[in-house]
Amino acid sequence: MSAVKIDEQVAKTSGYNVIGKSVRRRDALAKVTGEAMFSTDVKLPGMLYAKVLRSPYPHAKITKIDTSKAEELPGVKAVVSVKNTPREKFNTSATMTFTVPHLDPVLDQYIFDDVVRYVGDEVAAVAAVSEEVAQQALKLIDVEYEQLPAVYDPLEAMREDSPDIHTGCHEGKNVPGDIVKIAMGDVEKGFEESDLVIEEMFKLPVQKQAQMETHAAVAQVTPEGNITVWSTTQTPHPTRMILSKVFGVPHSKIRVLNPPYVGGGFGVRIGCSGKAEPIAVALSMQAKRPVKIVYTREEDFTASDTRHGGYVWAKLGVKKDGTFHALELKGILNAGAYCSFSCEVPGVMGAMGLSVYRIPNENFVGYTAYTNTTPAGAMRGFGNPQAIFPLESVVDMAAEKLGMDSLELRLKNIMKTGDPWCLPYPCGSTGLAECIEKGAESIGWERRGKLNKPGATKVRGIGMGVGTHCSNAWPFCVDYDNAYITIEQDGSVQLATGVPDIGTGTSTSLPQLAAEVLGVDLDTVNITFGDTASTPFDIGSHASRTLYAAGTAVIAAAKDAKKQVLEYASDLLNAPAERLDIKNSTVFVAAQGLTNSCSGSGVCKVGSGERTSITMKELAAHAHLRNKQFIGVGRIVPPNSPPWEAHFAEVEVDLETGQVRVIKLAAAHDVGKAIHPAIVEGQIEGGVLQGIGYALSEEIKYNDKGRQQNYSFHNYFLPTAEDVPEIDAIIIESNDPSGPFGAKGLGETGLVPTAPAIANAVYDATGVRFKEIPLTEERVFFGLRNNKA
Amino acid sequence: MSFKTLKFTLNGEPMEIPVSPSDMLVDVLRDKLELTGTKKGCGKGECGACTVIMNGKAVASCLVPALKAMGANVETVEGVANGKAHPLQETFMDLGAVQCGFCTPGMVMSSKALLDENPKPTKAEIREAIAGNICRCTGYVKIEEAVEAAVQKLQEKR
Repeated sequence: MSAVKIDEQVAKTSGYNVIGKSVRRRDALAKVTGEAMFSTDVKLPGMLYAKVLRSPYPHAKITKIDTSKAEELPGVKAVVSVKNTPREKFNTSATMTFTVPHLDPVLDQYIFDDVVRYVGDEVAAVAAVSEEVAQQALKLIDVEYEQLPAVYDPLEAMREDSPDIHTGCHEGKNVPGDIVKIAMGDVEKGFEESDLVIEEMFKLPVQKQAQMETHAAVAQVTPEGNITVWSTTQTPHPTRMILSKVFGVPHSKIRVLNPPYVGGGFGVRIGCSGKAEPIAVALSMQAKRPVKIVYTREEDFTASDTRHGGYVWAKLGVKKDGTFHALELKGILNAGAYCSFSCEVPGVMGAMGLSVYRIPNENFVGYTAYTNTTPAGAMRGFGNPQAIFPLESVVDMAAEKLGMDSLELRLKNIMKTGDPWCLPYPCGSTGLAECIEKGAESIGWERRGKLNKPGATKVRGIGMGVGTHCSNAWPFCVDYDNAYITIEQDGSVQLATGVPDIGTGTSTSLPQLAAEVLGVDLDTVNITFGDTASTPFDIGSHASRTLYAAGTAVIAAAKDAKKQVLEYASDLLNAPAERLDIKNSTVFVAAQGLTNSCSGSGVCKVGSGERTSITMKELAAHAHLRNKQFIGVGRIVPPNSPPWEAHFAEVEVDLETGQVRVIKLAAAHDVGKAIHPAIVEGQIEGGVLQGIGYALSEEIKYNDKGRQQNYSFHNYFLPTAEDVPEIDAIIIESNDPSGPFGAKGLGETGLVPTAPAIANAVYDATGVRFKEIPLTEERVFFGLRNNKA
Repeated sequence: MSFKTLKFTLNGEPMEIPVSPSDMLVDVLRDKLELTGTKKGCGKGECGACTVIMNGKAVASCLVPALKAMGANVETVEGVANGKAHPLQETFMDLGAVQCGFCTPGMVMSSKALLDENPKPTKAEIREAIAGNICRCTGYVKIEEAVEAAVQKLQEKR
């Protein structure tokens, strides 16, 4: 449904004034005119430019590093390496700041170490008067390496004869942190009692976020030691905590902010942006001048977190009537050279994989293994896509074996509100059945099996996949939010929240929530965001949480401010606060309606007039002159709730070339409530296309020297405008009881079941089951050929 | 390094600036002229974020040696809104075509170059015009819709 149609529908039914409307985004004008400021645009007086020397080897000991010649090059102002930077272990991801109390975060990185663990690992950095001079200086750094054995595959890395990439792995060779185990019922018994058991192994690729703005940071250190960092982080507050730990500077003396815009994230900078922030700070401390670092696209690919690739085993036990009875999932993923989020990703993978269907006996074991490849961390879906491609594949296989329609089989088994599940919060709402119904209608599910003529070389197929996700990071991470709402002296509203706007529109949707609660005109609400100096702590924009979790804090702050306003107005309007409300930026006595004239009623006295209402402007001015201001504070620990999604793909497979083309993708999403329908559609459409990339073309491979083979847009195949199928983004509103006005998470779900919907459609078209993605022409061509033979 | 004076027309105004033969147009625009609306996403002509219009054609300014712009007519995103937003900018804003915004200037420039030359493009022509501009946020759906809507707006104006 188009955004416009939804607007009309909302206007007719909801009674909301601000939410549910696709208002023009706050950032839109600045972004279409080129005025919007990003980290890569920041320029300060005296600013220097940094370049990083990176390891050419996948695993080596640095036996000598001499930076003296680089330091002597005219224009070079600072050189940093293992010799003059803090020996303080950290983790570039925010996990080191919000790992839940019963676990210890894995701290396995220094800014620079004397061992390098992947091609691209940081060896040294230079700050100079220009990028060219800094680049030249890198060549003058003399480094001697003693090469060490390297390993690139997680299963191989766990073997006893493999090199130790890090010490202190207590769960097994090269396994960081703790193994994740989730269990319900008795899975052994469950399989015994099942009439049909399907068991398969799947192989998942390394995908890259490929956000459009590469990692960047500008650091400025004042003579008093105060540090300001403008950067591309998705989490200004946790990033400040990381810098505080690394440099031993109190939080209060560090400011981290976005400038204010961030050119995308998709998980890659939850915490530091690669190592841009700590390197810029280290150089700025040495040079005593501001330092800017901007990653090249190749650095962004090779030296910042990817999605986890690896191996997943799925085993599904089903009763004759189609009832799912037991499910076992096991994941061994590739952590890459440093831990990043490798302890959390398996947790989300298991939790989401086990929560789609109502199954009494379930088991998950998941972990990662270090290898000498680029670190893997957070990417949109965070483990969930790695669970759902296998799960939704075996569900389809079970349907075929049972002779059941796979849609009916899913409908029979999907989680219902209040069903028991493995998560520590309830399944508060689900519109998945409606998602399946609407998605099937859009794709024309009944056309399945009637699409092809005998002998055709291009064959069509239809497939589906369903899934869920979370609406914030709890219980996988510490998760809480704060917000301030200040009613200014003229009645306008200042909202402050620590989340950034990485492109998802939070700087528009959060003011919508505030305006709706306060009853004020949206135009009078301003928002400050993504800045540790002017906003209260928030764990940032990730985990599909920004609107749901930060929004809950905004609503709490708005309610607090409103309460103060109504209490103050109570005296002026001569009515109890409970009888007052605010609409159109005017406080009024609810029973008497919105009128500025009550002549003769004598109920209200402001100035010389008599009224039953007072504008926010008049009220704030009145309060100011009597030493009073209204400041609302929202401090919340968000609940959590599952969004749901059903994707349906129609594909065409060229049997002669192996090319898979998606013809249409219908994506029906239970988002709880669409606060801004156009943004909701945009999130779904964008997620779907990233999912199509994951399914068909995106993959980073390594050669036998540990070098990435797909490190640029030229050889990493992102979908372009010419690859986009018809995408039908369908919004289902289940009005979640816990979320802001019923809203749930949405940022990641668009990607999650896209790959299995496509792979299932390819099976429908060809009769060949692919257990490895992406479905490149080569893979499909050989898969079809081998299947014939 | 020997500097040469680059003379060209930038957003309708004559411009003279010393550049080195190794400077790329994108760096002259962003660093020397501080027109940071033109973005740099790859530096290799692979993402389209740096697209500007040079003598009527959309070009990746990271692949254009600055001195190649000698005497040329160059238009950047900063020059598109002439006192008021261009219809393309209006439709990008109104139809949800803007998310993170980093590809937006390049998308606007590629689309504008198309519409300047071909006021009634087909859907396929629109797709072809922006095929060199990578967007990782929108799935291109609303960008395409915005260009189509701008075509309509421009027709109505005529």
